[in-house]
Amino acid sequence: MADEMTADFEKRYNGGPSIHGAFRLPVGKPHVLVLFGPSGSGKSTILRCLAGLEQPSRGRITFAGETWFDAEAGVQTPPQARAIGYLFQDYALFPHLTIAGNITYAIHDLDPKERRARLAEMLRLLQLEGLEDRRPAQLSGGQQQRVALARVLARRPRLLLLDEPLSALDAPTREQVRGELRGLLRGQGIPAVCVTHDWVEALTLADEVAVMGGGRVLQVGPPDEVFSRPADADVAAIVGVETVVAGRVVERMDDLAALDVGGVRLWAVEPSRRGEDFYLCIRAEDVTLEIGTRPSSSARNHLAGRVVEIRPAGAVSRLVVECGFALTALVTRQAERDLALTPGTPVTATVKASAVHLISR
Amino acid sequence: MNWTAILLTLKLAALTAAILLVVGMPIAYWLTYSRWRWKFLAESVVALPLVLPPTVLGFYVLVAIGPKSPVGQWYQAVVGHPLVFTFEGLVLASVLYSLPFAVQPFTAAFGAVDPKLVEASWTLGISRLATFFRVTIPLSLAGVVTGVVLSFAHTMGEFGVVLMVGGNIEGVTRTVSIDIYDEVQALNYAGAGQTALFLLVVSFLILSVVYALNRNLWAVWPMK
Repeated sequence: MADEMTADFEKRYNGGPSIHGAFRLPVGKPHVLVLFGPSGSGKSTILRCLAGLEQPSRGRITFAGETWFDAEAGVQTPPQARAIGYLFQDYALFPHLTIAGNITYAIHDLDPKERRARLAEMLRLLQLEGLEDRRPAQLSGGQQQRVALARVLARRPRLLLLDEPLSALDAPTREQVRGELRGLLRGQGIPAVCVTHDWVEALTLADEVAVMGGGRVLQVGPPDEVFSRPADADVAAIVGVETVVAGRVVERMDDLAALDVGGVRLWAVEPSRRGEDFYLCIRAEDVTLEIGTRPSSSARNHLAGRVVEIRPAGAVSRLVVECGFALTALVTRQAERDLALTPGTPVTATVKASAVHLISR
Repeated sequence: MNWTAILLTLKLAALTAAILLVVGMPIAYWLTYSRWRWKFLAESVVALPLVLPPTVLGFYVLVAIGPKSPVGQWYQAVVGHPLVFTFEGLVLASVLYSLPFAVQPFTAAFGAVDPKLVEASWTLGISRLATFFRVTIPLSLAGVVTGVVLSFAHTMGEFGVVLMVGGNIEGVTRTVSIDIYDEVQALNYAGAGQTALFLLVVSFLILSVVYALNRNLWAVWPMK
């Protein structure tokens, strides 16, 4: 296929682990694939292989009809010829060049007029105006990250590779940059592969998530699906959050927002008022189950449903309750017995509004 | 003071440093980035002039470029005169003798450049050679200057190699250190003392520049 990237390769280290990457990515339109997994799962190695900075041991990588790597044919396209943009974890800005020098580094052979226009465009796009004569060391972490983005975008790459793009930022900055980055990735219309171990980052940026564990891609799918319905116990352990569903704000009251999730209304604390579309994340231990009619309590959300699945795990069980969407609850084995919970039991699930974690999407 | 010897020495040192700048860079680049398992052998060869008595090095160079050696014969056929006991022969010997003084600081400086910056340049579409000139060299400027200055200073003070390969020909191969030796042999302590003081002061100034450079690159470099 000419309009997609295919990767299926293995990188073996001498006496070390073997890392296997296998996925497809549509190109020519904005689409963000997030490689999600704990550190040491081989995410960065896969990114380096895609960039051409490492050579896989076997397999194939093709991009829009071009062969970037083919072990059998002995093809390894150097990074220079791949026309990619690689965003390093610590940005790798050139300390001896000014901000303008960094941004125009890759486009120095354009004619001066066009180069100046491109520089101005990038400074505007990434809100770096007025900083062009500074050195990287004089900028804040968030600004440095924007310079790194400007530097890769200035040459109009065909594919963006982002290595833990937000991990070098402090928490408040990360919050802000996360949203900016998502808008930018969508706006630029460039496909991207992004590596992260932070599930909030994965949910924010991803159109598709590939969960990595033990050097392999374990599951690929839309973020809410991967996070709510992990394919197996390994994926569940890696993603860690039990319920992730997409919702839209339908009503606001003070700092509370009511979200519609597949016909069900859920209240959540949302003081920021940014956007209407969110992922709702609920941890299983924050869900309480009660038998019978709707109880009254201080909790905002009471959801009627049925138990559809019970998965014992040591002293506790994970129950999946179908209440318009699949909600996972954690109860002790004793509670499970006392309430006589079996598949099919009608229950009311209670979740405090403050336990519904919102991630804008 | 023997100005002929001083000017000759400065010319020899400048030429040697210039040649080492050009020759030493690729060697240092290779030593920095090569993953060849026998690389340590090449490193040892480069470092050899540090420990070898200059007379030993001079002896081998003399034999290697002498009129009976292939190199010597080829040189005589092309240029028309032998290589030994000429200024050119002296330059060749000096380059070999001062090789580690250039290559080792270059290698240390290249090795200190964050490899991420080099990779960043490659992924931005810039060739390896252009990356070397646009990232590696600017970021190892202090080391490059140190290497050039040290090889200049080291060449100024060489004695044994010059004597073996160049002999003692006024205006051609008679350098400052040989001049001092001659003056002392002739019991002309005043003349020897003047030239020695000159060499001492120049060496001190050069080393001061090197140490200042390595403390802060811009301390002695009027650049932003």
